[in-house]
Amino acid sequence: MSDNKKHKDWGTSYGEMVWHEFAKSKFTLLWLGFIVVLFVVAVFAPFFANDKPFFIKIDGHLRWPLFGALTASDYSIFLAAFITLIQLLLILRNKRKVDPSIRSGVLWRQIFVSISIIIIGTILFFIFIPKRLDATDYKSMIENGKATNALFAPVPYGYGRTDLKVREQAPNRQHWLGTDDVGSDVLCRVIHGSRISLSVGFVAVGISSIIGIIIGAILGYSGGKTDFVGMRLVEIMMAVPVFFLIITIVAFFPRSLFNIMLIIGLTTWTEDARFVRAEFLKLRRQDFVQAAISLGLPLRSILFRHMLPNAIAPVLVNATFGIAGAIFIEAALSFLGFGVAPPAPSWGQILSLGVSTTGRFLWWLTLFPGLAIFFTVLAYNIVGESLRDAIDPRLREAR
Amino acid sequence: MTTYIIRRLFLMIPTLLGITLMVFAISRAAPGDPVGLSQGMGGMMDAQRAADVRAARNRLYGLDKPVYIQYATWLGRVARLDFGDSIKHHRPVIDLIKERLPITLILNLISFVIIYAVSIPMGILSAVGRKKFLDKASSVMLLMLWSLPSMWVGQMLIGYLCGPPYNLFPPAGLSSNDAEQYPFFQWLADRLMHLVLPVFCLTYAGFAYLTKLVRAGMLDNLRADYVRTARAKGLSNWSVIFHHAFRNSVIPVITIMATLLPAMFGGSVIIERIFSVSGMGLLAFESVTTRDYNVVMGVATIAGFLNLIGLLLADISYAIADPRISFESTE
Amino acid sequence: MIEEVTLLNIKGLSVDFFTENGIAHAVQDVSFSVKKGQTFALVGESGCGKSVTALSVMRLIPDPPGKIAAGEINFENRNLLSISEQRMRSVRGNRIAMIFQEPMTSLNPVYTVGEQIVETIRLHQKKSEPEAWEIAAEMLRKVGISEPGQRVTEYPHQMSGGMRQRVMIAMAISCKPQLLIADEPTTALDVTIQAQILDLLDSLQQQSKMSILLITHNLGIVAERAQDVAVMYASRIAELSNSKSLFENPLHPYTQGLLKSLPQLGFTGERLYTIPGIVPEPLHFPSGCKFHPRCYLGCNDKRCQTIEPQLREVALGRQVACWYAPGYERPDDPKL
Repeated sequence: MSDNKKHKDWGTSYGEMVWHEFAKSKFTLLWLGFIVVLFVVAVFAPFFANDKPFFIKIDGHLRWPLFGALTASDYSIFLAAFITLIQLLLILRNKRKVDPSIRSGVLWRQIFVSISIIIIGTILFFIFIPKRLDATDYKSMIENGKATNALFAPVPYGYGRTDLKVREQAPNRQHWLGTDDVGSDVLCRVIHGSRISLSVGFVAVGISSIIGIIIGAILGYSGGKTDFVGMRLVEIMMAVPVFFLIITIVAFFPRSLFNIMLIIGLTTWTEDARFVRAEFLKLRRQDFVQAAISLGLPLRSILFRHMLPNAIAPVLVNATFGIAGAIFIEAALSFLGFGVAPPAPSWGQILSLGVSTTGRFLWWLTLFPGLAIFFTVLAYNIVGESLRDAIDPRLREAR
Repeated sequence: MTTYIIRRLFLMIPTLLGITLMVFAISRAAPGDPVGLSQGMGGMMDAQRAADVRAARNRLYGLDKPVYIQYATWLGRVARLDFGDSIKHHRPVIDLIKERLPITLILNLISFVIIYAVSIPMGILSAVGRKKFLDKASSVMLLMLWSLPSMWVGQMLIGYLCGPPYNLFPPAGLSSNDAEQYPFFQWLADRLMHLVLPVFCLTYAGFAYLTKLVRAGMLDNLRADYVRTARAKGLSNWSVIFHHAFRNSVIPVITIMATLLPAMFGGSVIIERIFSVSGMGLLAFESVTTRDYNVVMGVATIAGFLNLIGLLLADISYAIADPRISFESTE
Repeated sequence: MIEEVTLLNIKGLSVDFFTENGIAHAVQDVSFSVKKGQTFALVGESGCGKSVTALSVMRLIPDPPGKIAAGEINFENRNLLSISEQRMRSVRGNRIAMIFQEPMTSLNPVYTVGEQIVETIRLHQKKSEPEAWEIAAEMLRKVGISEPGQRVTEYPHQMSGGMRQRVMIAMAISCKPQLLIADEPTTALDVTIQAQILDLLDSLQQQSKMSILLITHNLGIVAERAQDVAVMYASRIAELSNSKSLFENPLHPYTQGLLKSLPQLGFTGERLYTIPGIVPEPLHFPSGCKFHPRCYLGCNDKRCQTIEPQLREVALGRQVACWYAPGYERPDDPKL
């Protein structure tokens, strides 16, 4: 049985149709490309901006300081990026090699395996990779002639490296985007800041989507009393202005990156819940669901295999906008001083230094991180908008 | 109709309780004690201050009693608008809020009015006069406006417009220092000049969002069957656009108030911080920074209440605008 | 003696739609007349151009993408296609009224039924508010809605489909139009309600001598209600005749096919007859006679394949566009 014969019978899947529609606009693809570039920068940040050289010859021995200083979180991020890439390639392969009737099952299993690998890997990394703090000043070693033949990263500064001699400098040859109030290189901090922004974006949205889906599914499926009570709870969440709620929580809890992700995730799930609930209420009445129920299928199966794939579309669109929103909230929190503490590099934090304590306007501390936030948020918004347009008319046709 | 309003009011009660419960739960769920938390600020609290904080908290919550009694006590006090005293200012929280709230309300109200006043005509116009290229371009433009971070815009505006060489607008506050002594028109002009930048920062995002919404709604409605009927009756284009299409587009525009209000409240925090406007947003910011817990909880609760009132108004407006709603029990 | 005055006369109407994929000739060279006090039925399948024709009379073709390319629409001594938009507006809802297919969505949901009727009345007639409301209630009574005084303050969503269509009709006749265009007025309704609505239209017509242009795809309702019928196929009129003759002796193969497809009482065969093939798309019309690919007579005829037959009168009150129709051929016709 040749492969080609199998493929002709497979129609285009929903995902393929959406992608096809989505990819029609070059403009959108450009911004999608920007997001990909951003990802690369975030994942490989230590290779783009680092005060330790790739290699250096000290006393005739070749050493690799940059690689030695990679932390457990660096390795986790590399692993996550790698697994994600593999997963995407697998999805493409599935389209060509896997029979559609079992494709979603295969996909779920693959995703499960991927996430497990990432989690296990992360745990192992954190256990086994020691926290090495390498404070050696390799640059001065070069200058002093103690070492030779070094190759530095394109931006040869570390984000934690302070140098009060060069504080608050406008962009110049040494520091392309200038320096901040403690002398750290702005470009380096912007590069590393992308990690924080993107990770907050994804984790927060991941948390809020999962919560929203679960709650929305339960409410939408149950209807009646459960729905009524549940909606009151959702309304309570919606009634409090989210930002106020976030800063209230921030006031009481210790500041950490994970806490911030968690807080944003816990406060922004209401939109997703409403979408999923609306879809489920509609789907509940449809024939195929009635059929599944009357066949005695387990609830778990009905909800996740039959109803959820139909309801997932608005969640995906909302998730994209949600990432933009989460990045924005994190930047706002850092700007106000409620986010991650320095020396962690957050775009919002750099932005807050734009007006110095003496009232001087330090334009490079305002313009560059601001542009970073703006373009990132814009990219996700454009992609989200196009995604919504791609999904909507297709849905309209189907109905 | 009145039954609908009464029903909504009734449903507000559990939501009100829920808000107080949430605020209370957050304060109780906080790990560690206030003193330990404050040290995370990057500075050590002095012993006296620490003792003050601890004493205030104990007093406010009766920390030695069981949780539900604590909540009941807290709730009772909230009902009397008693949030305790501010640790930093040594004054009742409610007084602080009373002072600062009107400013935030006025700022938001002005912004709100401007957003609606500008977006609705813009949305209608862009829907009625359509050219293919303009469609995509304006859509992107609105997205760009929507994506601009308000703190960036605010800071850039201050940086470029307020200082030399332009000196166009005053960078901070709502009035100049000696404004009290100005004659009326000068005072008014001074006030307006101070308002321009903060209001602009509060409005541009909402404007982008709402214009898009009005436009989309109009586009949908202009294609509707009843518009064809209206034309078939001999109504003028104007009449069709306003009385028929727009009247239906108004409905989602009103519902949006429900999301716009909390967003604007949140935005206030940032804007007031940047422009040093003494409103409730700035109070929230300061209280979080200084770990003035009573104020934090008071502000959060009041903000929740205000938001709820706003949502109620939006609901009622929605019921007025769409006759289909009052007759069905939704959800 | 029945006076047969021509109320509406359409000559050579052609309507084009400019789409991304080319120009669609939705209506080509359509001509017919509607007489005063009588019902004219325009029959055809979806996409044949009958609705577009109806909308053209009201000049409601959306422009862009549509455009009336040619023709005259003569009504009350004026060519409606040449008068100003302002004057056309005084005709719409006033001298010529139209009701549509979907009563569910054709009424504005945010205004009461009364408000919508009053709007029409006050637009075209000099009546005060209270007077207009009285007329509105009277109109509702006329269309058979019970408790009109009460109903007039209700919203469309409080009414059933049949009732909404009655409201539409009430709105349409409120200014005593000379011509009522009914575009598939019963298609979206239950069968029992269909009959009621059609009876209502009949009785209204008798009372006020109003002409009706009835657009439908249902031949069944045409037989009893219309005096004259035009059958449209793919943007053109295939056959135009008085109703009796059309049903007794259809001349065009398409009409014959349509009639054959109607289930008859006493039918004992196994399958209903269907005309083979499908209706062509406006962007891909066949050459020659547009029906030829599906025609039992002309599918292999070179002339039918290449030259389009025009509508010709072959007997008194009977016109047809088919090379094979008896009496159609003329001496100077091309022969292949």
